[in-house]
Amino acid sequence: MTTVLTGTKKVVTGNHAVSYGAMLSRVQVISAYPITPQTQVVELLSELCANGALRAKFIKVESEHSAMAALVGAASTGARTFTATSAHGLALMHEMLHWAAGARLPIVLADINRAMGPPWSVWTDQNDSLAQRDTGWMQLYCESNQEVLDTVIQAYKVAERVLMPAMLVLDAFVLSHTAEQVEIPDQALVDQYLPLYQPLYKLDVNSPRSFGALAPPDVYMELRYKMHQAMEDALEEFARADEEFEKFFGRCYGLIEPYRADDADLILVTSGTVTSTAREVIDELQAEGRKIGLLKVRLFRPFPKELLRQALSGVAKVAVIDRNISFGMGGIFAQEIKSALYNVHQRPSIFGFVAGLGGRDITPAVIREIIDYTENHDEPEDLIWIGVKR
Amino acid sequence: MKHPIVFTSEQEMPPMAVSLADMGHNRTGSWRYLRPIYSEKLAPCTGACPAGNDIPRIMSLVAEGRYRDAWRLFRQTSPLPGVCGRVCYHPCESACNRKDFDEALSVAAIERFVADECFDLEDEIPSRARRAERVAVVGSGPAGLTCAYFLAKDGYSVTVFEAESEPGGMLRVGIPPYRLPREILDREIELIARWGVEFTVNTRIGRDMDLEKLWEQHDAVFIATGAHRSRPLGIPGEELALTGLEFLKTINVGRSVQIGTKVLVIGGGNTAMDAARTALRLGARPVVVYRRTRGEMPAISEEIEEAEHEGIQFEFLAAPQVIRRLNGQLEVQFIRMQLGEPDQSGRRRPVPIPGSAFVLRADAVLKAVGEEPELPFLSQSLETSEGIIIDRSQELLERTGIFIGGDAQTGPSTVVQAIGAGKEAARAIQSFLRGERKPKAVKLEEALRVNFSYFAHLPRVPTEHLPASERITNFSESKQPISAELARAEAGRCFSCGVCNYCDNCWLFCPDAAIARVNGGYEIDFDFCKGCGICAEECPRSVISLAEEEL
Repeated sequence: MTTVLTGTKKVVTGNHAVSYGAMLSRVQVISAYPITPQTQVVELLSELCANGALRAKFIKVESEHSAMAALVGAASTGARTFTATSAHGLALMHEMLHWAAGARLPIVLADINRAMGPPWSVWTDQNDSLAQRDTGWMQLYCESNQEVLDTVIQAYKVAERVLMPAMLVLDAFVLSHTAEQVEIPDQALVDQYLPLYQPLYKLDVNSPRSFGALAPPDVYMELRYKMHQAMEDALEEFARADEEFEKFFGRCYGLIEPYRADDADLILVTSGTVTSTAREVIDELQAEGRKIGLLKVRLFRPFPKELLRQALSGVAKVAVIDRNISFGMGGIFAQEIKSALYNVHQRPSIFGFVAGLGGRDITPAVIREIIDYTENHDEPEDLIWIGVKR
Repeated sequence: MKHPIVFTSEQEMPPMAVSLADMGHNRTGSWRYLRPIYSEKLAPCTGACPAGNDIPRIMSLVAEGRYRDAWRLFRQTSPLPGVCGRVCYHPCESACNRKDFDEALSVAAIERFVADECFDLEDEIPSRARRAERVAVVGSGPAGLTCAYFLAKDGYSVTVFEAESEPGGMLRVGIPPYRLPREILDREIELIARWGVEFTVNTRIGRDMDLEKLWEQHDAVFIATGAHRSRPLGIPGEELALTGLEFLKTINVGRSVQIGTKVLVIGGGNTAMDAARTALRLGARPVVVYRRTRGEMPAISEEIEEAEHEGIQFEFLAAPQVIRRLNGQLEVQFIRMQLGEPDQSGRRRPVPIPGSAFVLRADAVLKAVGEEPELPFLSQSLETSEGIIIDRSQELLERTGIFIGGDAQTGPSTVVQAIGAGKEAARAIQSFLRGERKPKAVKLEEALRVNFSYFAHLPRVPTEHLPASERITNFSESKQPISAELARAEAGRCFSCGVCNYCDNCWLFCPDAAIARVNGGYEIDFDFCKGCGICAEECPRSVISLAEEEL
C-alpha cells in the first residue's frame, strides 16, 4: 500500500511528482492510456485510487483519443479531471484537445516530452507538445521535479479561473525517470490554495442543456475571441497564482525567470531541463567575468510577450536554444521570441539554435559552444544546428 | 420560442457554445425514428420440437436448480418427459443455435434428468369443473396418451381403449426396456391416469368393440392405433420368418420366443435395430442384413452406433429372395445389390447385381422392413392410400367427431411426432365439442441471430453408456443418467435464444440510460430513447426488435 505523508519531503521521479501533484489537487476523474515514458504517472495514480489515498474514478480506455474524450465528458459534468501522455499519444489526442479548449473545460494534462517517430525514439524533445501550440491549451515547461508537482496544482488554479485547459510539460527521462528530493505539500494547505472546481455551466440531468452545438458565423468568431481573451487573462492569473503559491508554500517560478541577467550583453534563452545545465554554465562564465545572463521561459502559452520584451529589449544579443524544429523554418521558441520583439525599438540580435533533438544531451560544452558562436558572430542567424555530424 | 436570443456583443455571450435555456423540453426521444421493442421470439429448439417444449425457459429453471418448476413446464407441453428424455431423436438438438458455436445443447439428457428427479413428487391436480362430454381415445401409444392427458386436464371424461393388456402402445410393445425401462413408462401413464383418464385394456376396436358403438357412446373419438402391421418382404417362404415387431412384442411383454443362436434380421430401421439388440441380449448372434448401405439406414444413428458397439454384424447391399427350411434351420437366399439412381426418398435405389446370389443359414429370421397402419374398423368408404388416410377423409372424419392422428394417420414416425399429433388432436376435439373453429397456430418469428461474443466455449455433457460387454447380458438401461451438477452446467450452456433471461445487457448498454428495470423486466423511457438500436444489437439472444416509428 502506498501511503503518502503530505507536508514531508520525499525522493521522487518526475513522473511520480506529476502523480502526487494530481493527488494533492484532488482530481476526481482520471482517464489515460499508457505510453513510454508516461506510464509511471498513471501507474501510481491507479495505485492511489485503488488504495483509497485518492478518491477518483480511474477510467481505462483503448486510446489517448478516448482518454481525452472521456475527460471532456467528465469535465462537462463539473469534475476535476486529469490525464498524462507523451508524443504519439498526444498526437492521437489532437482532435479532442481542440474540443476541450473550445468547450472551455479546465482539464489538466501532463505531457512527458518525447521525440516523434519515425524513427522510433523514446527520448526527449519538444516537438510533440509544440505541435499542439494552436489547440488552445496553456503550456508550461518544467525544469525540476518540485516544479512539476507545484505546476500541476497551479495549472488547476489558473485553468479553472479562465476556463482553458492546461498542459504541463517535462522532459522524458531527464525529469520523468530521475529522482530528486521533492517537498510534498500539506494536503490541507493545498485544499485551501485550490478549492473545489465550481463550473459555470455543467451537464446536469436535472437541468439539461445543449453543449457544443452549431455556432453560425455570426457567433463563432466571438467565441474564438473570448478564448483568446481568456488566454490573455491567464497571463495575469498565472502571475497571481504563482504569488499566492509562494505565500502558501514558499516557492514561486514566474512565467519567465531571468537568472543573473542584469547588465548582460548576451542572454541565453532556454526552456525545460536545459535551464539547469545552463545555470551552471552561466555561473562559470560570470566567474570568468563574461556578461552573459540566462532567461528561462516557463509559460509558452499564453506567451508572456510583454515580460519577454521587458527582459530582452536593450540587450545586444539573444541566443535561443530550441529542443525542437519546425521543419522549413527553425526553432519554435526562437520564432516566437523574435515575433514578440519585432515591434520593439531596441530589439536585440536573435540567434536561433537547434540542439538536443531526440534526447541527445545538451552538455555544458554544448551551451558554451552556443554562447561562443553568438559572441563571435555579428549578424544574427535564424537557424544554427548544433552538434550535427557533417 | 418565448425569447428570441440576440447577442449584441461578445460580453453577453457565455464562454462556450451552451444553451442558456433548459433543454428539458427537447429530450433525446425526439430524435428517434426506430423503436426498440421487447418481442420474444421462438427458439429454434422449441420450433423444431413437435411437442413444443419451451426449452429455453426450462433450461433457465434447471440452471437455477429449480427442477420441479422445470418439470411442470415440461408437463405443460407433454405428459411424457421421462419417455422423451430417453427415446426422443431430439430434433431440438439438431436445430440448436449452439451447434454453430461449439456443440448443441444436450436437451434430452436434461429432460431425462428432470423427469427422473421429479416424478415421485406429488403433482398438484387442481379440482376443475368437469365437462359433460365424453371422449374415447382408441390406442394408448404416445398420441393417444397425450390427447387423453390434455383433454382430461381440460375437464373432459376420457376413456382410452387398448388392445393389449397394458397401456403404452408402441412405447411398451415396440421399444425394448434397455432403451425405455418399464417403470418409467408406468409412472408417466400413472400420472396421466391421475388426471382422471380411464383405461380399458384388452379391447381391440373392430374385434372387441365396434367403432360405430364407440361413436354412439361418446361425443368424440380419437383414433390413435399406430402403425403395427409389418410390411411383407414379398418373397417365397416369408411365412417362415417372424416379424421383428411381433418378436419385440412377445419379449417386451415378458413371454419367450425360441430363436436359437444364429439370427438374421432383415431391414435397416429402428425396429430392425431393436430386434437385433434384443436378440443379442437373449444370447443370439444376430446379423443385420440391409439392402442399401449404412448411410441410407433409416434408424436413428445413435441406435446404429450402439448396435455396432455391442458387436452386432451388418451385411449391407443384400436383399432376400427366398426363405427355405433346411435340416431344422432356415436358409435365406440373398442377392447382392448396388446403389443406383436416387429414388423418391432421395436415397440411392438398390439395384440387384445379376448372378450374385448367395445363401445365409440361420436359426431364425426376423423381418423388419417397416410398419404401416392397420385400420380394418374404418368404413370402406374412407379412401386410403398405402395405409395413410388422406386429408379429404380426415376432414370427413372431423365433421363427424371422429379424429385420427399419430402413426395411424401418417405411417410410422417418432414418439415426439405422435405426442405432437396427440396435442393437435386434443385441440381439434376441444374446438369440435365447443362448436368453435380450431384456432390457427401462430408461427412466431424464430430467434436465429445470436451474438456469440457474449458466450464462452463450453463442452457438451458427454453421453455415458454401460460398457457394451455388460449391457448385452441383460435388459437394464444402457444410457446413463447425468448428475445434478452436470445437468445444471449443461442447462447453463443454453443461449436462451429469443427468450429474455434478464441478462441486463440492454440496460447496461443504453447510452441514454433510457432502460429501467421494472418488476423483473425492462421498460424503455421513450422520452429519452433515441432509437440508436444498441440494445437490439447487444441483446445476446434476439429478444429486442427494431421497428420504424409510425408518423
